[in-house]
Amino acid sequence: MSTARTPAGRAFTLRRARFILLCLLPGAVFVALFTYYPMIRGAVIAFQRYNLFDLTSTPFTGFENFRAVLAEDRFWTALRNTGTWVVVSLIFQFFLGFGLALLLRGHFRGRGLYQAWVFFPWAMSGFLIGLLWRWMFNGQFGVINDLLLKAGLIDERIGFLATPGWAMTSVIVANIWYGVTFFAIMIMAALQSVPRDLYEAASVDGASRLRQFWHVTLPHIRPTLALIVLLRIIWILNFPDLIYSMTGGGPAGSTDIITTFLIQQVIGGDYGRAGAVGLLVLGLLLAFSVFYLNATRFEKAR
Amino acid sequence: MKTPLLATAVAVTLVLAGCGSGSSSGEVRLRMIESLTSPDRTKLIKKLIADFEEANPGIEVELISPPLDSADQKILQILQTRKDLDVLEVRDHTAKSFSNNGWLAELPTTGWAGWSDLTELAQKKAVEVGGKPYLIPYGFYQRTLFYRTDWGMSRPPATWQELYEAGKKMTTGDRFGYSFRGGKGGADYAVMMISAYNGDKLDPEKSFFLKDKSTVFSTPEAAEALELFVKIFKETSPPDSVSWGFPEMVQGFTSGVTGMLIQDPEVIKSVEESGVTSWSTAPIPKGPTGYAFQPVGYAGWGATSFSEHPKEAVKLVQFLSEAEQSIAFAKGNSLIPISKQAQNDPQFSQGAWKAYLEAQEDPRQVITIRPVDYPGWSQFTVDSDRDIQALITGKKTVAEVLESWDAFWTDQAKKVS
Repeated sequence: MSTARTPAGRAFTLRRARFILLCLLPGAVFVALFTYYPMIRGAVIAFQRYNLFDLTSTPFTGFENFRAVLAEDRFWTALRNTGTWVVVSLIFQFFLGFGLALLLRGHFRGRGLYQAWVFFPWAMSGFLIGLLWRWMFNGQFGVINDLLLKAGLIDERIGFLATPGWAMTSVIVANIWYGVTFFAIMIMAALQSVPRDLYEAASVDGASRLRQFWHVTLPHIRPTLALIVLLRIIWILNFPDLIYSMTGGGPAGSTDIITTFLIQQVIGGDYGRAGAVGLLVLGLLLAFSVFYLNATRFEKAR
Repeated sequence: MKTPLLATAVAVTLVLAGCGSGSSSGEVRLRMIESLTSPDRTKLIKKLIADFEEANPGIEVELISPPLDSADQKILQILQTRKDLDVLEVRDHTAKSFSNNGWLAELPTTGWAGWSDLTELAQKKAVEVGGKPYLIPYGFYQRTLFYRTDWGMSRPPATWQELYEAGKKMTTGDRFGYSFRGGKGGADYAVMMISAYNGDKLDPEKSFFLKDKSTVFSTPEAAEALELFVKIFKETSPPDSVSWGFPEMVQGFTSGVTGMLIQDPEVIKSVEESGVTSWSTAPIPKGPTGYAFQPVGYAGWGATSFSEHPKEAVKLVQFLSEAEQSIAFAKGNSLIPISKQAQNDPQFSQGAWKAYLEAQEDPRQVITIRPVDYPGWSQFTVDSDRDIQALITGKKTVAEVLESWDAFWTDQAKKVS
């Protein structure tokens, strides 16, 4: 027995490996079935004529769906709107969320409860939030118009969801309200990871609050920030719920983003085109992520 | 230590696998799914199901009630698996794709007393798709004009021109004439006006086309109608109504912002429960040649082609479609009933419902069939709403909109014939 020590050890690791694999299997099957299969299926559909109207004939059509999508003005309008939607939402969410996190870091009475309340919107469905804001922004009986009128800030009701510029502003405002809490949660968690003694050392050295923030806090949480921002960009882009329930992309496509455009393809029954739009979004995000991660890594190396 | 772990893993897998197969007693278990889910309606369906179970011992029905917004998608997903579904709610716009894909069973009409009790319209609509009864409608939606009687109107407008003029008179300050629909579903109203203006040239069986096979959007009358449509928006409706869908339109009328509203009978209940007291209904306005056209919306119950209990599934559909049950269902949901016996029911011949009877008796209030069986129908519903918003916000002209709609449907006509 003792001489056969090495083979026995190998057998053991093999068995062990098999056991580990077996334990991983359910998870792997689940992920394969519910994530990768639909993804691959969707990708395949993008190259088929796949219209709900008649699923008995779904021939492959090469890049026909992509051509059709790219030839549509609406696609490009949606793409431009997506830029505005993501950038403006992100900037406000980030800074307001950061501020909120800094405020919530301090110790005060009822902090736990307060935190819970602040984070509450994050737990709500995007569609529901959209419906709430749709009524609040209503030009005729919306509470926001009422408040502005009573405060004397406006003389006439504003058709928030009825005028193109206002409609975009309205959906972005709703999105900011929704997303601030995410940044607050994540940044607060990051802030708590900064070692306390660093601040002590800094204050011994006579660094002001602002300098402490700039030279201690920021460098420490920067990697986390970079990652949160990336995640958030992807999520905002993939978040048609709010827009869909508030304006449906209207008026006349002025609040359409690429993912509401995708939903419209689905409702129109053309799954092939919807799949093509999905793949385009995927490609776009992939390219962006690679670029972004490289850029932030560069910054860190400096 | 390793073996128990493995055993646990195996056991868990077995339990998980076991969950799928369910228990098998001697009873027949039907699974039924609804689409237009709302709490009150689900309660009513459950009550009807309980009556069915009582009348048919040995059959048990399980009702699935997905949320309204995603219900049809969910039904579609289940149908694609061809499993575990026996009875379902089929809507006018899902009927074609469901039957095209072979998911619906043909329902027998002979040997069932209930069939002859259905109104002519109900029988017609049951076989409208594919010429075979793939569903039995449970009720109809048809639009009617709701109007305020205390805002200086002595009689309801009979034509769109009169509606425009009456609306203009009502529009002062915070008050507007008409609950305009500019959001989702808005194009439907434009099509309604265009149809009325085309008058008797229109082919009611294929309502986007004229009897001479050209589209309804190609005529000068269509342009006239759409011009007036824009004027009605600009001069008699709240500017905010660019984005209004069903809930805002109704809210506009019930909160006293607008004086006229064209909507389905289910709104009767909402208006009755609101603070508005002086109101009445009338048939929808007509065009210059005295015709009004509108489709009748419907949904019904159908059975799946892959049901393991086809006989029981059909039995349930028939039970729900018989006079007693269908009248109860129509009353509970403010629908135009499918049973001949309902004509004797006072609820459907009085008050707000009278406008429907009036419309039914008028040969120039014509029921049309929309081209829902054309491949581009779904696409058009999405695109046309957007065109309407572009039109009323000045981004497109009447001519541009009509030209693109005409081109779209001329092309569709080629695809079908």
